[in-house]
Amino acid sequence: MILDRKKMLVVVCATSAATLTYFLNHNLGLGAIVANGLVGLTAAMLLPASLAGVAYTASFVGMSSAAILPSVHWASIGGAVLSLVVLSTTEVYAGIGGKGGTTAALSTLITKAFIGFLS
Amino acid sequence: MENLIFILTASAAGTLSYHISNKFKKGPVFGSSIITLLAGIVLPLLFPETGGKLAAAAACASYAGMAATKLIPTTFEMAFISALSGIMLLIASNAYVGVGGRLGTIAALACLAWMGIRRGFKESDNICMDKLEITKIGVWE
Repeated sequence: MILDRKKMLVVVCATSAATLTYFLNHNLGLGAIVANGLVGLTAAMLLPASLAGVAYTASFVGMSSAAILPSVHWASIGGAVLSLVVLSTTEVYAGIGGKGGTTAALSTLITKAFIGFLS
Repeated sequence: MENLIFILTASAAGTLSYHISNKFKKGPVFGSSIITLLAGIVLPLLFPETGGKLAAAAACASYAGMAATKLIPTTFEMAFISALSGIMLLIASNAYVGVGGRLGTIAALACLAWMGIRRGFKESDNICMDKLEITKIGVWE
């Protein structure tokens, strides 16, 4: 996979959204649902539709509990993993509600496997 | 009663999200995130004991509400899918707790389940029509 400018933007948006959601959720104590809503709404208003979708999907990763992703750094890595999954599966199940959540769950579990492998 | 409120909340949230997203043309991310944010703020204030669970149900259904009209064309179908996502969330309440994307996965499963049911109904209708035609020909002969 060659990383052009568009794909780099996807990676940056996903990493930022997951990190921000995790920070709002755990560090500021807003809770997963409010954090996800805030990040999604901001992305929908500021970003073009395709990037907003990626950012909202990545924010699902940031909804993970501290038992699954222990720190904000791991949330960032989760966001980066998600961007790679999104770039590889753009056409799969397009238009089905919840596709983003499924992608996020897969990315979270991959990241959790990394954490388990390293510890 | 608590479970019924849970399912009704999910149904309302998913339908609203679908309407904002598709009928008001605001896009799926805006449609879902506004419902998620409002549910996350309002429901815990209105129902201090069960508000958190209800907000999760609303968020889950709002992810289902991101579905495109090409795949889920009517509001009735979306109301059913949202209620189904609420039921599935109740059943799977102890599965993968804390994993980001769990609610979205349940929403996707509810969408796929409904699409399977709809296809099953269509095919059974076709089989009935075939039998009817055979019977008609038989009577005519």
